[in-house]
Amino acid sequence: MAHLSRLEFTEQELETFFRDLNNILVHFEKLDTLDLSNVSPTSHITWTSPPVNPDQPVEWGREEEVMRAAPKVEDRYFIVPKIVDKQEG
Amino acid sequence: MNNLKITIGLEVHCQLSTRAKMFCRCGTDYIGKGPNSLTCPVCLGLPGSLPVLNQRVLDLALQLALALGCRILPKVVFHRKNYFYPDLPKGYQVSQYDYPIGVNGSIDYALQGQRKSVRIKRVHVEEDAGKLVHEGMALMPDQSGVDFNRSGIPLAEIVTEPDIRSPEEARECLMMFRSLVRYLEVSDGNMEEGSLRCDANISLSRNPGEMGVKVEVKNMNSFRSVYRALSFEVERQKVLLHEGKEISQETRHWDEIKHVTVSSRGKEEAEDYRYFPDPDLLPFSIDEASLMNIREKLPELPLERKERFMLEYELTESEAGVLVSSKMLADFFEECLKELNKPKTVCNWITTEVLRNLKNLGKNINQSEITPKAFTELLRMIEKKEISGTIAKSVLEEMFTSGMNAREVISKRGISFISSEKELENIVVDVIENNPQSVADYLGGKQKAFNFLVGQVMRQTRGQASPEMVKNVLYKQLSAGG
Amino acid sequence: MTAEEMKNYRVSDYRRILQKGDISPRELVKIFLERCSQWEPFINAFLHLDAERVLRQAEEMEKFPPADEELPQLFGIPVAVKDNICVSGIPTTCGSHILENYVSPYEATVVQRLRRAGAIIFGKTNLDQFAMGSSTESSVFGATRNPLDLSRVPGGSSGGSAAAVASLEVPLAIGSDTGGSVRQPAAFCGVVGVRPTYGRVSRYGVVSFASSLDQVGPLSRFVSDAALLAQVLSGEDPLDSTCAPYPPFSTSDIPSYEETRKMRLGIPREYFSSGVDRSISEEVASAVEKLAKEGFDVIEISLPHTDFALEAYYLVALAEASSNLARFDGVLYGKRAQGVKTLMEMYHRTRIEGFGNEVKRRIMLGTYALSSGYYDEFYLKGMKVRTLVRQDFEKAYEACDILLTPSSPCFPFKLGEKISDPYQMYLTDILTVPSAMAGLPSLSLNCANRDGLPVGLQVIAGPFREDRMFGLALFLEELLSVEPPIPAVPDVKEGDDE
Repeated sequence: MAHLSRLEFTEQELETFFRDLNNILVHFEKLDTLDLSNVSPTSHITWTSPPVNPDQPVEWGREEEVMRAAPKVEDRYFIVPKIVDKQEG
Repeated sequence: MNNLKITIGLEVHCQLSTRAKMFCRCGTDYIGKGPNSLTCPVCLGLPGSLPVLNQRVLDLALQLALALGCRILPKVVFHRKNYFYPDLPKGYQVSQYDYPIGVNGSIDYALQGQRKSVRIKRVHVEEDAGKLVHEGMALMPDQSGVDFNRSGIPLAEIVTEPDIRSPEEARECLMMFRSLVRYLEVSDGNMEEGSLRCDANISLSRNPGEMGVKVEVKNMNSFRSVYRALSFEVERQKVLLHEGKEISQETRHWDEIKHVTVSSRGKEEAEDYRYFPDPDLLPFSIDEASLMNIREKLPELPLERKERFMLEYELTESEAGVLVSSKMLADFFEECLKELNKPKTVCNWITTEVLRNLKNLGKNINQSEITPKAFTELLRMIEKKEISGTIAKSVLEEMFTSGMNAREVISKRGISFISSEKELENIVVDVIENNPQSVADYLGGKQKAFNFLVGQVMRQTRGQASPEMVKNVLYKQLSAGG
Repeated sequence: MTAEEMKNYRVSDYRRILQKGDISPRELVKIFLERCSQWEPFINAFLHLDAERVLRQAEEMEKFPPADEELPQLFGIPVAVKDNICVSGIPTTCGSHILENYVSPYEATVVQRLRRAGAIIFGKTNLDQFAMGSSTESSVFGATRNPLDLSRVPGGSSGGSAAAVASLEVPLAIGSDTGGSVRQPAAFCGVVGVRPTYGRVSRYGVVSFASSLDQVGPLSRFVSDAALLAQVLSGEDPLDSTCAPYPPFSTSDIPSYEETRKMRLGIPREYFSSGVDRSISEEVASAVEKLAKEGFDVIEISLPHTDFALEAYYLVALAEASSNLARFDGVLYGKRAQGVKTLMEMYHRTRIEGFGNEVKRRIMLGTYALSSGYYDEFYLKGMKVRTLVRQDFEKAYEACDILLTPSSPCFPFKLGEKISDPYQMYLTDILTVPSAMAGLPSLSLNCANRDGLPVGLQVIAGPFREDRMFGLALFLEELLSVEPPIPAVPDVKEGDDE
């Protein structure tokens, strides 16, 4: 799970962490007492149909600011450590 | 060993032809643009930015799904596909999961005169990621660069059922996808530029009743490489089966240079994408009225059109096939027939000369200067034997490059198609008789008067004679008269 | 004039003196800047407060005096902005390391609306990291303290905004409410805090915690000011698809006292259960009694799934958060860990160094809730219970027009008291979470003081019925006449001993 979230912990941190997480997770068992078989899930609060964009491009024009503040930029590219397995795109 | 059953399924991505990106207003025309110049808070995933759907994405995807005969789901829900990668600015890709645009369709194509059908599992839309650059002047060997110009461009993904039985079929089916998206004008379907991409699943089995082990093949960037990569896989797997070895379920990449597929290293464990409904995008409901509207506007599709061309115009399958390969070309053909109802002739000229010229110019028929009217005018001249076929070819070439019509080219070049001087003589005599003063002036040594007479003849012929020939005949007549 | 002298000023009063020219916008902001310099050393409500910038804005206001015209609604009024809302030119840190120096290149829609209404963007207020917390203790820039008792927390996560308003460092502030992050700190600091209907206010430029729940809302000393601020903030936004394309809320829709008196009040019994501090239940019940004496129809009702709302809320909110916070990976912005060699190292170290413990805990829980094999067990279940919670409210509104409950189960607690027990901290949201799950407008106002600590009363209305919510809140405010806090500036000793 830590890897999926791209987080890293020391042994000790993990221990406290898991204790805390488990303490929280036990409370979620409360939901098991409900019969949810015929209940549909609410993923969004929707009141109406959502607005959409027209298909007309508009230039933002402030990307330079983003690049200036970025951790690492060369030649207008955002730079990251080399991707070893380039196939996995 | 010959009764091995080959099973292939395709996963086709095509870039939808929108002017703006899928969830923001950035332009999609990234070719030739500097890195990260077509970006904004939304497609860069800046904190606090939110997506708003481009209506056109939905329209184009619905057209595609309807043309593929899909059942359209009553609502469109966007899901987040979560994974980390530097070209993915939000740490997730907005895609679709259990509510795609359409399901259960099919695509038909013909191979060697036989009509085949492949079932479509689903059509959904998703946003493209950015582009990674691994080599470049400014890059250190231990660095990669990211360009987000492509980030957020809309893609349609079409997944077929494993109904394809050979690499040839796979190629043919993919070509039909391309014609289809081009017919619908939902995508330019260009594999070289990456606006059409294809992955394939392939398995071989000794027992026709069951499927073999599925191998995924990626990185095929042309129709030819789809054919070659799958043919390579068929051979590779055949050998393995023959030797009694196991085929492992894996992803392999086509190496365009070495002409082999290579197993992708690592990443054996399947990534857990944790799909869930994107809470930033409310579901869209699709109403029957707007569906009807789109359905009514669907153009005749390539296969139907091809079959109609064969029947109605008595063309061969390959002729009809070439014409319908592009909607513009097929439209051009039919426009020409309105001017000149000789399907065979028009077809012959289009499939040879017109295509050759277009190829040389790197243009499509709509980008070129040729109109159906101008083109059929040329054909009519050949028919009337006003010019020879050989001259017509070179005239056509100039029509393409200069944008002039046939008569203009001919008169410019001095090619006469009032081919006999005899024919011209009558007109010249007429002009001489009607302009005695000019004739007298000319005979008196005024060169200007000669030019006036040439002009008069040209007017009479309505430009249909070459000035050289006119001068010639006029000179002869005047000399004879004098 | 001093801030103390303006303790009972509403926005309309500031407008009056500005319009008459009794005071200039610059003089007005100077009073509040002075107040900040007195209070900040004790409460740490602001993460960013640039006096120069504030004065410059006030100066701009003076340059363009709209002569005889009516002044814009918030002309010259300082408004503090929670630091998870993007303001151009100044940092948006979310109280975190990872965004420590981040300056947004664009501005949130709500901030632009404030500017258009003539407000002075006063500064950025402290919060729990990424708005994840109920005490404003998890900010990497230090905790905010409750101005009513410096040993106590101001609540959270909009604790900075609540403390700034309670100490009168500013008359108005905005915060964000995901499960109670505006209302609970408002209750803890004795001020008014509002969560509008989900979809009423644009989220564009508000750093997302849980997208299906986040909503920006006002904090103020008086109900009428909160209503005015809600009017300025609300309305459709083409940049936010979850923002409803409805006309904005208007204060002119608020019913008169006469009409208000006809409202049927629902009292959900689950909100007065054993989990709620007895004194709080008593105070709220006594306020309800006063309303009954005024002739209101009071109906006891039941919202049977209230007990399950908290767990469901955490499943849904954390699942969304785990995905929303994936973008903080050090590629495009924010602080990338130093000296990283590989991509994986960049991700891991950037995120481990950039996020605090509570944020990591929530990301892990959310990732777990969404992961294959647990999705049905956790996230899906959360969404289903959310449906039940919504249905409870829908049913309740058949019998009554508005609900009254306590805002918080407890009084403001001491700093450090709950920080080591995450679940105890989560429990402080128990009364604000259900209406957030249902997307309903809810407001907290101070209904009493017990031993110097405020008691928050929550008013919950049906969707887009802010008019009723404010109507009843105005009635209550007048009826109860509990004055907004004006704590005395502590002497230095008191501030020192913590």
